Amino acid sequence: MRYLISSALALIVSAAATAQQLPVEVFTLDNGMEFLLVPRNDQPNTISAGWVAKVGSANERPGITGISHFFEHMMFKGTNTVATRDPKRDEEFRTGQKALRDRMNQLIWGDQYARYYRGEIDDPWNPANDTPELKRLRAELKGMMDAQQGRANTEAINALQAKLGSMDPAKDADAMKAAQAEIAKLEAEQKTKGSIVKDEFDQLYTAGGGSRMNAFTSYDQTFYFINVPSNKMELWCWMESDRLTDSVFREFFSERDVVHEERRLRTESTPTGTFDEQFEAMFWLSSPYSWPVIGWPSDLNSYTMDEAQRYFQTYYCPNNLTGVIVGDFDAAKVKPMLKRYFSRLKRGATPPPVVTLEVPQLAEMRMNAQAETEPQVEVRYHTVPFQHADSYALEVMSQILNGRTGRLYKTMVEGSGVASGAGARQDSRKYAGAFSFSAEVKGDATPRQLEDGWYGQLQRLQAEPVGEQELQKVRNGIAADEYRRLQNNFFIMLQLGVSASLGDWREVNSESGKLLAVTPADIQRVAKKYFEPTNRSVATYVRKAAPAGTTADEPTDPALAALPPQMQAMAKQALKRIAAETDLAKLKEGIGQFDAQAAAAPEAMRPFIGFMKDRMLARIAELEKGAAPAAK
Amino acid sequence: MKHLTTTLSIGALALGCLAFAADDLPRHPGDIAYPPLAFNPPSPSEYRTTLPDGTPVFLAPSKEFPLINLVITFKGGSNLDPAGKSGLAAMTASQMRLGGTASMKASDLDERLDFLATKIGISSSDWTSSASLNCLASTFDESLAIMVDMLKSPGFDASKLEVAVAEAMSEMKKRNDSASTISGSEWRRLSYGDEHYRGQQMTEAGLKGFDAASMKAMAASIFHPGNMKIAVTGDFDRKVMLEKLAKAFSGWTSGAEQANPPVPATSLTPGIYHVEKDIPQGKFIIGLPAITRDDPDYIPFMVMNDILGGGGFTSRITPRVRSDEGLAYSAGSQFSAEVFWPGQWRASFESKNATCALAAKLVLEEMARIRSAPVTAQELDTAKKSFIETFPETFSSRDATLGVFMTDEWTKRPGDYWTTFRDKVAKVTPADVQRVAQKYLDPSKVTILVVGKWDEIAKGDQGGRATMAMLEKDLGPVKHLPLRDPMTLAPLPMK
Repeated sequence: MRYLISSALALIVSAAATAQQLPVEVFTLDNGMEFLLVPRNDQPNTISAGWVAKVGSANERPGITGISHFFEHMMFKGTNTVATRDPKRDEEFRTGQKALRDRMNQLIWGDQYARYYRGEIDDPWNPANDTPELKRLRAELKGMMDAQQGRANTEAINALQAKLGSMDPAKDADAMKAAQAEIAKLEAEQKTKGSIVKDEFDQLYTAGGGSRMNAFTSYDQTFYFINVPSNKMELWCWMESDRLTDSVFREFFSERDVVHEERRLRTESTPTGTFDEQFEAMFWLSSPYSWPVIGWPSDLNSYTMDEAQRYFQTYYCPNNLTGVIVGDFDAAKVKPMLKRYFSRLKRGATPPPVVTLEVPQLAEMRMNAQAETEPQVEVRYHTVPFQHADSYALEVMSQILNGRTGRLYKTMVEGSGVASGAGARQDSRKYAGAFSFSAEVKGDATPRQLEDGWYGQLQRLQAEPVGEQELQKVRNGIAADEYRRLQNNFFIMLQLGVSASLGDWREVNSESGKLLAVTPADIQRVAKKYFEPTNRSVATYVRKAAPAGTTADEPTDPALAALPPQMQAMAKQALKRIAAETDLAKLKEGIGQFDAQAAAAPEAMRPFIGFMKDRMLARIAELEKGAAPAAK
Repeated sequence: MKHLTTTLSIGALALGCLAFAADDLPRHPGDIAYPPLAFNPPSPSEYRTTLPDGTPVFLAPSKEFPLINLVITFKGGSNLDPAGKSGLAAMTASQMRLGGTASMKASDLDERLDFLATKIGISSSDWTSSASLNCLASTFDESLAIMVDMLKSPGFDASKLEVAVAEAMSEMKKRNDSASTISGSEWRRLSYGDEHYRGQQMTEAGLKGFDAASMKAMAASIFHPGNMKIAVTGDFDRKVMLEKLAKAFSGWTSGAEQANPPVPATSLTPGIYHVEKDIPQGKFIIGLPAITRDDPDYIPFMVMNDILGGGGFTSRITPRVRSDEGLAYSAGSQFSAEVFWPGQWRASFESKNATCALAAKLVLEEMARIRSAPVTAQELDTAKKSFIETFPETFSSRDATLGVFMTDEWTKRPGDYWTTFRDKVAKVTPADVQRVAQKYLDPSKVTILVVGKWDEIAKGDQGGRATMAMLEKDLGPVKHLPLRDPMTLAPLPMK
């Protein structure tokens, strides 16, 4: 057709050589806080505003893993002005809670850990294992938290409500009335005694027209953001500078339960969550990237108020923060406002550097997992961090592999058809980087086939330079994305903040030029340099066998059930193939192969081979009788 | 107001930060004088026109970037799936994108599009389908020609279908792996029954029956000029764009507009339902039938839901379940008002097994409380301000604005809806909120779906504050539902 001009090699965006520049005004306060301002009129009436703290889980150490993320939760809990009706009384509650919790921690780290080491209890943190003293302290702490929240009478109210539930409206009308009145009295009383105004931080923003208020924590940054109507810039300045100068870590102790629930939701209740966490821990040898952002469960219970305050003072000083404001505003009007509010932050010492470098990996590492998921594989290599000269060639290499016309889809999803999906990714973090290949099987294919498919692609990248047309296609995409990524205030804000936290917001403007300059020789060079087998970690997943009696209506097969669980899935797949096979010669050939393999097979595989051989013989007998048609 | 801000700004510039010690700052954000924000919602008539054949077109040109974004919406989607062939409309749409055309091989088209850096998507969802194109303005003519070719003469290449079928099979196999997918499909089954398209899901047998003939028939029933609306934003001239569109779509056989989707014959049956899944955290949905989008109670209901559980931390359910007691990470409610039949109100949360019953009890208590007493003036004020102040975000970009216009036209939303929206919100009273809560949110008529480890969930919390037996007293004994075979949806044996 007329529109196919297959030989056109030209870069289709003429302006791309100079790359689309995002006009950013940098405004720095005397205390070192930097603001990136991007006035933009394409989305009238709204502003996306945020600030990023250059701290994440990489700045933690064993014992306080997850504290960066916990902090993010604390930043929404108010100050001496927000979320309290009585700051003095609230402080008394917090001081009292801290003393109780510190005492509990001493007991748990001491006696309870010792009992755990001796094997007397299964979990030193589980309240079910509390000693009488711990039980008492825990109840006292709970009572104080309830009182702070205006729920001091909760137990009495619960008891009355239970009593009400057992009364008969016909007979006990008066008693019921009295109980209801008592409940009302208790409720009114406790409200005035509590010092917390629940979630007032959120309420103030909500009433002010804020939306998408949230935050996230990652390895290298903690980012707080919101959209506000364009007339509410001062509200943002007030709220953010208030919480940066006066956060009191209210609900420090009760919020841990919320974070435990978050961990259960994101990590423990997802098919591969805990495995992903352990693969990460296996992959990073000395780097602080080895622990999860949400933290190890024991650490989540352990951090103290003192540690939290130290952490805040060390990393939340203005000289470690970057604000980003994008949208419908006039910089000349906003700058004095920023200065007025954020100058109340006091400059701190330069935060300590992350000094531990990742050591070179000496040998291939593997994790063979059984999980409730389709068989899949990830192969990951140590590569390079943010702004490393080779990161651009690695990124372009991933784009050569990805997408519907990329090499992985064409060879593994179409082509050999072993994958239902496959992708590659260069992950350039602040202090180190990794390149990973991941794929999921299609049909009866195995993780091994996916792995082999990937090694084949790698060999091709190492052996021959990428073709000009193929590379030009990737370049055209990069050039067009230059514009696409700048169309939305919120997304611009995120890109600037993340780049700033990794070390240089200007990367937003310079990255695509560096990507467009990557040559076929560069790609071939990095493909040879970083992908030695000794530099890789491999995770393979096979489906965990379902508990007995809960699979589809297959008659239970005692011989199959007698196999070790990890072989059952494999055996079932093979059985399906045998049942579908109608060619006698092929089956007989298979028997021969089994006999040959049985001699060399490891001891553990013998039951499987024996089982399969029996079934093949049975199938042969069936076919020879001509009785059974091929299973559909 | 404006004067004050300016004076302060000049002061700050002249004197620097020392002039404003912390004491000079407003003590509370309520003390700040904010400049007014004037906003009038855009009117569709400023953007709407038609092609010579009558197809509605919404145009919003802008020179900011050398890009063009074109979206065509069609009426009809999953609601047109034939019995036993759930997923056919969605597969048809994606194969129109992926399966080549009568004259072009699929792989050549993909190569060309990637080379042009053009993104084309064709998809089909609940009762709508869409085709979208995003490209550099310089490649628009060729990109549009490719998209129109896909829409007018899809090739439905057999090998591409085979790949897509295998991918769909892989996805199906994962249906029982996570609690959220189990919960989602079981809830749809409880809400709509097996007879309605919303309650149905793709099966392996159905999928194997997808072929070029059935996809051609499906494509012809949805993708034609009598059944579409077009929106274009980006770098173009109105007149030239209209000419290009008229030319591109000419000669495409037209037909009648698709009918509305069928109204479900069943609705939620109150009770407690459970599906077993061995995870450390139970997943709960607590729901009730609600109202349609055009119901006069819609706005009071929306405000009521915001106060009850829709407004996140500023609502009642979220703090009660999450921050008061630390029982959940996410807890809240949502109100989905449907266009063609009454939607639902739903609360949901995930909690560790021992505290699931307690969290459910708190949700039911909050439902009872919003019925028994009027909401406070502050709660109502915050909810109303939030809807009114975030109103401009509905029209925050040209693409979003045109999207609203197209949906409104498909669903015949009253023309004054957006211009009167803020006034209607402002008029909601505490009595209105209580009235709709009493009318629609009866805690004794809820449907509860539990996915998780029942023996641990049923026992409840250590303190004995709540067990599932307490909830069963009001709602009847739990009905244990089987997991479904992921490929056939046949019930699996229960332990």
